[in-house]
Amino acid sequence: MATKSGNATALTVLSPIKNGAVDETSYADITRERCLRLPIHENSPLSKVPNTYLARLFILDDVFYESLPANDAVFNFSDITSLFSDSARKKALPRKDHLKSKYLVLSSNFYGNLEDYLVGMWEKWSYVDHEGNQRDIRHIWEHCVAFDRVTDSASFISYIKRCQLDASLFFNGSTDDSLQEQLKSLYLKQEFTRFAVEHQGKSAAEIQQAFKAFIERAQPENLESPTWSPGKSTP
Amino acid sequence: MSNIAGKAYAMNVITPIRWYMVWINRLIFKIALSNPSTLKGLITLSLIHYARWVIIPRDSFPRLDPSQPKEELNYSYMLFFSNFNGSWDQYVDSFTFAIPSGLDLFWKWNVRYPKSVPLTPFHDYIRHNQIDTAHYYNAYPMAASNDVKSAKIVKKALIDFNATSADKAPEDFLNDYNKLLNNLQHHFGDMRPTPIVSLSADAVRKRHLQSQID
Repeated sequence: MATKSGNATALTVLSPIKNGAVDETSYADITRERCLRLPIHENSPLSKVPNTYLARLFILDDVFYESLPANDAVFNFSDITSLFSDSARKKALPRKDHLKSKYLVLSSNFYGNLEDYLVGMWEKWSYVDHEGNQRDIRHIWEHCVAFDRVTDSASFISYIKRCQLDASLFFNGSTDDSLQEQLKSLYLKQEFTRFAVEHQGKSAAEIQQAFKAFIERAQPENLESPTWSPGKSTP
Repeated sequence: MSNIAGKAYAMNVITPIRWYMVWINRLIFKIALSNPSTLKGLITLSLIHYARWVIIPRDSFPRLDPSQPKEELNYSYMLFFSNFNGSWDQYVDSFTFAIPSGLDLFWKWNVRYPKSVPLTPFHDYIRHNQIDTAHYYNAYPMAASNDVKSAKIVKKALIDFNATSADKAPEDFLNDYNKLLNNLQHHFGDMRPTPIVSLSADAVRKRHLQSQID
């Protein structure tokens, strides 16, 4: 299955949520609200999970009934059969499906292998919620089926793998570099653009001297520092 | 709810597919994977960071405990996840204009898929089947997909230039420096928070600013 594209990995997780309620709020709605209230950008818990390129969370409440008119190969054929049999026409109409559980969906694109990434999720997922409380990953997955049995990173990995779906096709439209490499590159693009603008029209000696100072400050080969921090949303 | 993180938009679409046609879709994806030229249209659409298609056979929704009811479904489902830059309309229209046949091939077996041309029924289909994102994270919200690619080029060019030209005589250095700037001019750019590509992107920005004050 195509969960990898070059060095990028696609993780698709559907975790079923329990069908109960606290007072009159369903577990699914509690989970949804916690996701909606997660801080964003550099304050997101995902900014602390190493190697996360882009990731998202949502609640899959139900599937959709395809009531819209359309050109559907099978349905078009049934238009002909409906001349002879109304039951054939009815049989070809879309059917209603309903999910019996709601699902917490995590879709993540990250660099590296799955186990290391999930250990990072378990250990690094951390944020301050809207009431000022420090939270870890259990706050989001708390109301999912069987999550009460997750007590450490090994059982978390096992849990996620049971919820994991394989991708049939994973398209990588980005570079195939690690996140660290990408962030450093973005930092250099930003800084060198500014350097070029600031040194327009100056003398050769001045530019050369400034360039050497720039290289010492920016350290192009050092991915650790200085760099663009993950989730950074201001220049 | 936010389908937007900086300049990136998250699209989640779930569509039913007849269970007895799942194998055809899987075969098409497998062929697409082993023939990279079939994905050329997606590469040309350089606004995509990552995209993925996930097929869930009707009996394969995760069931972790006997207390969880077993799903009984008529259809299998295809989940489509995409991360792209620009507004929803720009993206969906780009699909229509850039790769209509490839797109149709991926979705053809989905129930009542209207084909990507003409536009309006296709828009309606995507909107009907789209699920909003509760939390969306982007490691580089101020960068478009093309910024990430440009940055790679700038970094390599900068390292190479430093190795070959930093210690030359000033006039030779300046000649090489000007060549460098000339070669890189298409890849330069100062990253800023997203311009308003849509009213919803602006609303997200305002909510973010508001949450920082609260």
